[in-house]
Amino acid sequence: MTAEVQKYTLEQVEALELAPGAEHEDLEGWVPKLATDADLRDALGKALDYRGDVTLTLKSGERIVAFVFNCKSGPTLADSWVQYYTPTAPEKRKVGYAEIASIEFTGKDRAAGKHWEDWVKKYNEKKAAGETNIGLAPDKLD
Amino acid sequence: MAIPISQVGTVAAYVLKKKLAGVKRYPLVLMLEPLFRCSLACAGCGKVQYPPHILKKQLTPEECFAAVEECGAPMVSIPGGEPLLHPQIVEIVNGLIARKKYIYLCTNALELKKKLPEFTPSKYLTFSVHLDGQREHHDFSVCREGGYDIATEGIREAVQRGFRVTTNATFFDGTDPNSVRAFFDEVMGMGVEGIILSPGYSYDKAPDQHHFMGRARVRRLFRAILSNRKPTWKFNMSPLFLEFLMGERNYECVPWGMPTYNIFGWQKPCYLLQEGYAESFKELLETTEWKDYGVASGNPKCANCMVSCGYETPAIIEGFGSWKGFLAMARGNFKKYPNADAMKIYNDAAPHGSAELVQIEQPERALEETNA
Repeated sequence: MTAEVQKYTLEQVEALELAPGAEHEDLEGWVPKLATDADLRDALGKALDYRGDVTLTLKSGERIVAFVFNCKSGPTLADSWVQYYTPTAPEKRKVGYAEIASIEFTGKDRAAGKHWEDWVKKYNEKKAAGETNIGLAPDKLD
Repeated sequence: MAIPISQVGTVAAYVLKKKLAGVKRYPLVLMLEPLFRCSLACAGCGKVQYPPHILKKQLTPEECFAAVEECGAPMVSIPGGEPLLHPQIVEIVNGLIARKKYIYLCTNALELKKKLPEFTPSKYLTFSVHLDGQREHHDFSVCREGGYDIATEGIREAVQRGFRVTTNATFFDGTDPNSVRAFFDEVMGMGVEGIILSPGYSYDKAPDQHHFMGRARVRRLFRAILSNRKPTWKFNMSPLFLEFLMGERNYECVPWGMPTYNIFGWQKPCYLLQEGYAESFKELLETTEWKDYGVASGNPKCANCMVSCGYETPAIIEGFGSWKGFLAMARGNFKKYPNADAMKIYNDAAPHGSAELVQIEQPERALEETNA
């Protein structure tokens, strides 16, 4: 946890009626401008929380479609890396921050459009239409 | 108590051994996630929001056994995803039984009846079936009509075949205590060994972010649910943890008590948060900044958490770590927790019957009923 994170007091926590929940930015399709090291760190931090794939373009020109799930953020870009899976390779891979030229949020956000309210609305519509066995199905894997 | 003596004895001996050895941080339950793929698409779940290539990945039996052996916890919970979708789940379970681990295989039970013939009943194996309440509530919670009927059919078949079976329920904002208590009657009537329950946690990756209770509301709800307890109800949990949910005792989070291992590695710091991964359990213990987590840390991500993966471990350690704790735990198994305010809630609430599913659209009314 970074120092600038707003902390709760114990009194605030114990009195909490509803959890604030996370606010997710609409990142699908986003191509951040990476003018500074801080921009790169910020974008990779968002990639870590993103519920879909991103495309990393390396300074070598190589493009990698990746699901980013881990990182080490060191004092310099040379000390920092992200860890990811690609859609085709079975093993985990790492790439250094210093090797990354750009990042694009190219993959589908896998939680978008799946809020509780979306389900309630869909249910009520289908019920009104006389449907039975109403439900949400997991995304297809192929 | 719903938990067999042999399991209680194993856990008690393990805790005492660690205490005598002066070990500060040790695991009680390994949360082993062999895959994230699931046959349901629940809005409140934060475990399955991944691209297809991640959902297709799974741990091998050898990776599971290596994690179990490195961790050393006496109990292994196998959540997911849906573990019964793993093509080698029987091999994984049999390997863990051979290692004398007490296993809780957490399943939505959509495939349970079909898969049961492949498993052998054992004191080490429990099917922990996801049921979030009575038929209408469960089906709506898991976003699938008919889910309750399939799951309960699986439960009955598993009980009939001699398996240990529990149910596990997660409760979100708007839960009706009367309905939950009726649900307890229903599942105990099916012959399950005990009930496992939990308040929902606001998973960062869950699609829905607006129906997670804060701690004050969790305590009111669970006080209403768990007071005036019926002797027929059995809980497959520490009685002291249930008292924690009711607001009768306080614990600090012990995230290393139930560590998580999955296709990404050892998850930092716990089952609920994803703040990086370690390559080994040793690295997890040594490199996680534990002081940054739990309610006492002030970390906003921990603010609404009262979930067993953080708070049941200290209850278990207290129960087996001192005579005072042991007596409190033993008493908790037989106490009814009389509470006149909670009783008033049950009586004042509208009679519970086969309510329309759309009642969930009016959560405020149900919340007013939980002011025990």
